[in-house]
Amino acid sequence: MGIIRIENVRKIYIRKSLWNAQKKIALENLNLDITEKGVFGLLGLNGSGKTTTIKLLLGLVFADSGNLFIFDEKIPNLEIRKKIGYLPEASYFFKYLTAKELLFFYAELSFLSGKEKQKRVEYVLEFVGLKEAEKVRLADFSKGMLQRIAMAQALLSNPDLLLLDEPTGGLDPVGIRKMRELILRLRDEGKTVFFSSHFISEVEKVCKYVGILHKGKLKKTLEVSALNGKLEDIFIQTISE
Amino acid sequence: MRKLWVVAYYTAVESIRNKVFYITLLFALVVISSSIIFSQISGEVAGRVIVDVGLGAIELFALLIAIFGVVRLIVQEIENRTISVVLSKPIKRSTYLLGKYIGISGIIFLNILIMFSGLVILLFIKGEEIILSPLILAVSFIFLKMLLIMAIGLFFSLFSTSSISTIAVTFMIWVLGHFSNEIKFLSEGMTMFLSKFLMRGLYYILPNFQYFNFKDFLECSFLFSGTNIFLVIIYAVTYSVILICFSIFLFSRREV
Repeated sequence: MGIIRIENVRKIYIRKSLWNAQKKIALENLNLDITEKGVFGLLGLNGSGKTTTIKLLLGLVFADSGNLFIFDEKIPNLEIRKKIGYLPEASYFFKYLTAKELLFFYAELSFLSGKEKQKRVEYVLEFVGLKEAEKVRLADFSKGMLQRIAMAQALLSNPDLLLLDEPTGGLDPVGIRKMRELILRLRDEGKTVFFSSHFISEVEKVCKYVGILHKGKLKKTLEVSALNGKLEDIFIQTISE
Repeated sequence: MRKLWVVAYYTAVESIRNKVFYITLLFALVVISSSIIFSQISGEVAGRVIVDVGLGAIELFALLIAIFGVVRLIVQEIENRTISVVLSKPIKRSTYLLGKYIGISGIIFLNILIMFSGLVILLFIKGEEIILSPLILAVSFIFLKMLLIMAIGLFFSLFSTSSISTIAVTFMIWVLGHFSNEIKFLSEGMTMFLSKFLMRGLYYILPNFQYFNFKDFLECSFLFSGTNIFLVIIYAVTYSVILICFSIFLFSRREV
């Protein structure tokens, strides 16, 4: 069964002003096929199209041409979203809600029933280490805590696929390590993790496969274990070509 | 259906915990109470002055909450990106939009209720005669007006990329909507076809907020028949529903 399939996707952003319209090609003829469970990293510089790829998979933005599939279902598809967890690049949530209230809100939207909802909220709070802070409003959370609550909401529906957009962005070294451990734990639980990053070392540490995205084009797909720690050199060489 | 109420509930909870809610409410109650000062110099019509200032304050502060609430609904959620996580869940965009609208409407209702209670208490303290039914009708019409202005704000927020422009356009329509009859009068006096056509178009497209100004006719409330009231309700609901339908369509195509 295919997990993620992207076929010839093209995405252009148009910024309109009163006088003119500026076009920016975000993705050009993007093709990607992920059929194996595990951790897949999308590596690229800022503005290379990583976030756009994830947003397209979630149906938050729309492709100008091409098709996207998750678990062989064409998206956007409401049913498929039940099987996806999403961690945004920057964690902005409803700051006047407490951690627990926020998770209950998302649990309701994720079709979780009464008992299951309670169980999953407790579980994910424990999983990301925020049980102690469940009654604290998000306005009082640190950046690291916000990133963990973001991860908690992504895990609420026990999804088969996780789309993580720069999961270690802005975290301190301890936070980065915790996030890495979380991703590896999810991998061990049999989930597929698709994450974008511009941190080469992180990608090397957790990914089985990596795709190098540059200026909206997928330049290469590589198996990390076969690179013997030379991912940085390959990445620099690829984007310089 | 459950999700609709969940979104509405959490929208209301978020709004209630926002300090702006309390500050606006407190300020409104202060303004309503200040009507006592005006009533001191109003002789025999002191009660009428309290009612006029009170209802005016209720409408003004409800308008502020409605416009700022509707801006927070979409524009700010896109600006601060809270919307992307919500829409990554299995929820229809239309459900989310409607839930938000209902949530903010609930908050406005609560606000109007508290302000109205403040006004009635004030009249009671001053020993003025309180005839509740026309007062209730007046604030109900204010609430209807708010539902309509929210639908207008929501519609324009989906074109807009900034909070300021949404607030400005909505407020402008609010003002113009109170001058519908004047716009019609102006169009009748125009001789050039194009300007006459444009003015007429404006008259028909803009909502006529004067229909809702029951508070201006409290002394002659007998003029308002049940049919009149029913027609105003139908007008507000139809106008709002049409705009919300357009908004749902626009929101389904909006990238976040």
